[in-house]
Amino acid sequence: MLDSLPSLEAAIGSVSRPVVRFLHLKLGLSPSQLTWSSLGFSIGAAIAVGAGHLQAGLILILVGQIADHLDGSVAREFHLASPEGARLDTLVDRLSEAAVFIGFLVAGLAPAKVIVLAFVAIMLLTSIAERSRFDPGFKRWMLYFGLWVPYPILFSVIFVANLAGFVIGLLILDIKFQNRMDALGGDLDTIASRAATAETAERVPRTEPA
Amino acid sequence: MTIFTHVLATTLGVKLFGLHGKDVVLAYAFGVAVDIDHLIKMPFYLRTVGLRNEKGYYWRSSLQEPVAFLWIIPLCFFLGTWVPALFFAIHLAMDYSVRYEKMPWYPYSPFVTRGWLIRMPDAAKEIGLFAVLLCSTLYLLLKRP
Repeated sequence: MLDSLPSLEAAIGSVSRPVVRFLHLKLGLSPSQLTWSSLGFSIGAAIAVGAGHLQAGLILILVGQIADHLDGSVAREFHLASPEGARLDTLVDRLSEAAVFIGFLVAGLAPAKVIVLAFVAIMLLTSIAERSRFDPGFKRWMLYFGLWVPYPILFSVIFVANLAGFVIGLLILDIKFQNRMDALGGDLDTIASRAATAETAERVPRTEPA
Repeated sequence: MTIFTHVLATTLGVKLFGLHGKDVVLAYAFGVAVDIDHLIKMPFYLRTVGLRNEKGYYWRSSLQEPVAFLWIIPLCFFLGTWVPALFFAIHLAMDYSVRYEKMPWYPYSPFVTRGWLIRMPDAAKEIGLFAVLLCSTLYLLLKRP
């Protein structure tokens, strides 16, 4: 979520820097270890919520999200950021949401249909977010509002926001492709196939000479 | 296909299935209004082609390609009605009978197709389908209950 709010990210980053340095320099924790710890907290949260301890579960979700934030901070602070780390972060984020959502499903706090649909919408958005660079961020943090708003409504909001985000993301990618086609020019009758071929050629990884 | 043919097909579908209330709105939204992406493409057309009439410009977006089923089917489950998927499928079937290029699975796949019935002239398909839809709609509207 913080990725879409750079100024807030910077503010939190300046506050959390001492913690980040302590975690990495004193405790020797790597970004990946922090990433996996966030999944551990999320699984703990799921168990707590499933067992009927909603508030304890929400606190564990919060701790998991803090760990999830700190892994990126450690990576940036100590120049350990990598595409693999970013992919692991995304994978663990989705696993964390799956775990937490199962906890809510077991607790019967919202209908199974809405919880499953919310997760499907998050997965759809994730499938193109890296390319579209668009993610409204309506995921786990929405669940904190459950102290005031019924969970069926919150899961519906997560579903609608992420599905809308997916549609917008698709349109962003369409516009990028349209720009590619317009720049290509030539015979309009074959413009899509020529632009698609050019895009595919760009995506093929280059092999280093032996 | 032109917007008029989509309107006719959707109107016929609404009558045939006896839809009412929000289902009628959904039918027109997914049977006709998905063409709104042509408006999104308008600035690009004007920038690239200008005000002259240039055939073959790529007006489509994923809003009216089969890839949209990825979000329309979950939406159907959420709304508890299959009207969006059904009318979107009708819209697609009509569009895919016209021979211009389409990218059904973009951005997941760069596959390009021209659809089906591509050997028949587009104008013949458009006029033929329009006539059939018009006659069928008028028959349903005018027949005694």
